[in-house]
Amino acid sequence: MKYHIVQLGCQMNISDGERVKEVMERLGFESTDDESEASLLGVIACSVRQKAIDKVYSKIQKWNKWKNKKNLITFVTGCVLPADRLKFLKTFDMVFPMSELPQFPEMIQQYGIVSPAGLMSIDRGLQEMEKPVLNIKNEAAFQLKGIKFPEKKKGVFHPEKGIEDFWHITPHYGSGFEAFIPIQNGCNKFCSFCAVPYTRGREVSRPSGEIMNELKYLVEKGYKSITLLGQNVNSYGLDKKGKEVSFASLLEMIGEFGNSSGKDFWVYFTSPHPRDMTEEVIEVISRYKCLAKQIHLPIQSGDNEVLVRMNRKHTVDQYRKIVNSIRRLIPQATLFTDIIVGFTGETEDQLENTRKAIEEFKYNMAYIAQYSVRPGAASSRWVDDIPKDEKKRRYHLLTDELMKHSHEYNKNLIGKTMDVLVRGKDRKQGYLSALTEGKIIVRFPSDNTELIGSFVKVKVESAAPFSTEGKMII
Amino acid sequence: MSDNFQKILNVRNLTNSTFVLEIEKNGMIFEPGQHILLGKAGDIHHREYSIYSGVDDPSLEVLVKEVEEGDVSKKLKRLKSNDEVEIQGPLGFFTIEEEFLNGDSSFLFISSGTGISPFHSMVKSIPGLNYKLLHGIRTIDEAYEKDQYDPDRYIACTSRDNNGDFHGRVTDYIKSHDIDKNTHCYLCGNFEMIRDAMDLLEEKGIAQDHLHAEVYF
Repeated sequence: MKYHIVQLGCQMNISDGERVKEVMERLGFESTDDESEASLLGVIACSVRQKAIDKVYSKIQKWNKWKNKKNLITFVTGCVLPADRLKFLKTFDMVFPMSELPQFPEMIQQYGIVSPAGLMSIDRGLQEMEKPVLNIKNEAAFQLKGIKFPEKKKGVFHPEKGIEDFWHITPHYGSGFEAFIPIQNGCNKFCSFCAVPYTRGREVSRPSGEIMNELKYLVEKGYKSITLLGQNVNSYGLDKKGKEVSFASLLEMIGEFGNSSGKDFWVYFTSPHPRDMTEEVIEVISRYKCLAKQIHLPIQSGDNEVLVRMNRKHTVDQYRKIVNSIRRLIPQATLFTDIIVGFTGETEDQLENTRKAIEEFKYNMAYIAQYSVRPGAASSRWVDDIPKDEKKRRYHLLTDELMKHSHEYNKNLIGKTMDVLVRGKDRKQGYLSALTEGKIIVRFPSDNTELIGSFVKVKVESAAPFSTEGKMII
Repeated sequence: MSDNFQKILNVRNLTNSTFVLEIEKNGMIFEPGQHILLGKAGDIHHREYSIYSGVDDPSLEVLVKEVEEGDVSKKLKRLKSNDEVEIQGPLGFFTIEEEFLNGDSSFLFISSGTGISPFHSMVKSIPGLNYKLLHGIRTIDEAYEKDQYDPDRYIACTSRDNNGDFHGRVTDYIKSHDIDKNTHCYLCGNFEMIRDAMDLLEEKGIAQDHLHAEVYF
């Protein structure tokens, strides 16, 4: 019996999806890319854009039509706003926050499904079901005994409750050499453009012992690139002050393990909030080889007024101080950022300030998003007053500025030999694609797919704005 | 962080649309200036509300203005004593840093409407605070519980009547008065007021690190 998951959204959703898949497969379901042959159909939803939520509605309409012809169970989880959740309850069989994933086997039992084969006999009703026997391969990793449905307090949605149990599920890693480790969930920052505080709830930090166990397991298995994930990854520990280590201390623990492991691997983290970015964190990164010298530091806008309106709780000057610390303590670090262009009320002068910020901070990469209203976020109450074409123009203006600096950086790599992690075949025929420690794309001629997932040395020979090309050094 | 259903102890109506909810505190510890997420018990909608009460007050208070198309405030307006609300918090960073409280720091609090809420909490919580509070309102009846402030420090800036301490917007007041460059300025209220006031304060030489804002949406 097969399952099919529609996965929408960010890296956090991808990471969550690895745990969802693990639960499905421990129950004995097999994954399929073809939704028409699946009996269990699920969506990991994203509420960042209305477009993604529209996709969920369109999927469930189709799936519910199929129900006339065959036995199906549908579910939706992930980032769902409370108002959408109410609507989904009418159309999906199961709607649950990610934190309730550990109870999925019990939920599915309520439909009379005790094994994938049970879906064949769903229409015979519950009375014919035998005592549930679940196909759990590893009970230690996936405890079923004693699980009870949480008391549903007057229908209130608490996406963060139970997230610790969710983290206990061993993920079904999507790659043999790159992995995500969720270390923190939720957000207390309430940026006005973002709905995450309403879909994922408050900040909760995962116990450092668990994080270290997962990291050590991955390193032992030969993973080369590990990314610590959180909506505010560097707010780690702030919700458990005095009871849990700080983000800097967690990185230090990872660094010490890296030194003693004798293995080569790179540890990244995303996404941090400038407000919680301490000099101590930067200093720790500078000291340990395994802590990758690549910092993703979202600025969102280079204008103080826009930052106030975005409720970002930092100024350009405060951001500048962090970048100065990075440049002083880790001069070799690459710098990535996120920018929203065309935010409600953004003036030409404010746009110019963002362009100047790109010029000043010389980013290697900026994920520039044209502002779109996020239903549920505070800014959705304001008129989205910058026309689409104007947003596009501003997007291109900022992208052009970014390309000047990323190209300049990449040109300076020409002639240098870099350690790179080979990630897969490149779009260019006969080439492999790799990333430097600073996440600069390097492609090189090779058909040897056995190199995928390993570190090699490549001498850079040419550079484009967002990539480089070279030859492998044997 | 607490996360609770808590009972309403009392409702103080200040105007036809503005009221203070007194809620069971249940031991919540917060810093003046922080906010909570608040909604009617069982409702899917919650909104951020600054805490109005002082840190040592026996109950937790929020100042609410009913918004015509609001998902939350209209429901809160209908609540009575013993009804339940759901609270998450405390949250937020709009607080006065400890180091600012040492020495002879002076504070200028600039608010519009219910944006006075965090300053009410600060004034009640921090004894001896050297502050001046500008409150931008349309008419004097919106000078919510003005008797709770030192009359020499509270300035009602009324834009639509002459019954306040200053006739005009808070920005007009800023334009027409000198402000010491070392003053720590805290702004809370609607974005347009904050934007205009920040521009004026910067023109008057207040450094960016002396400007702190909490926008009400």
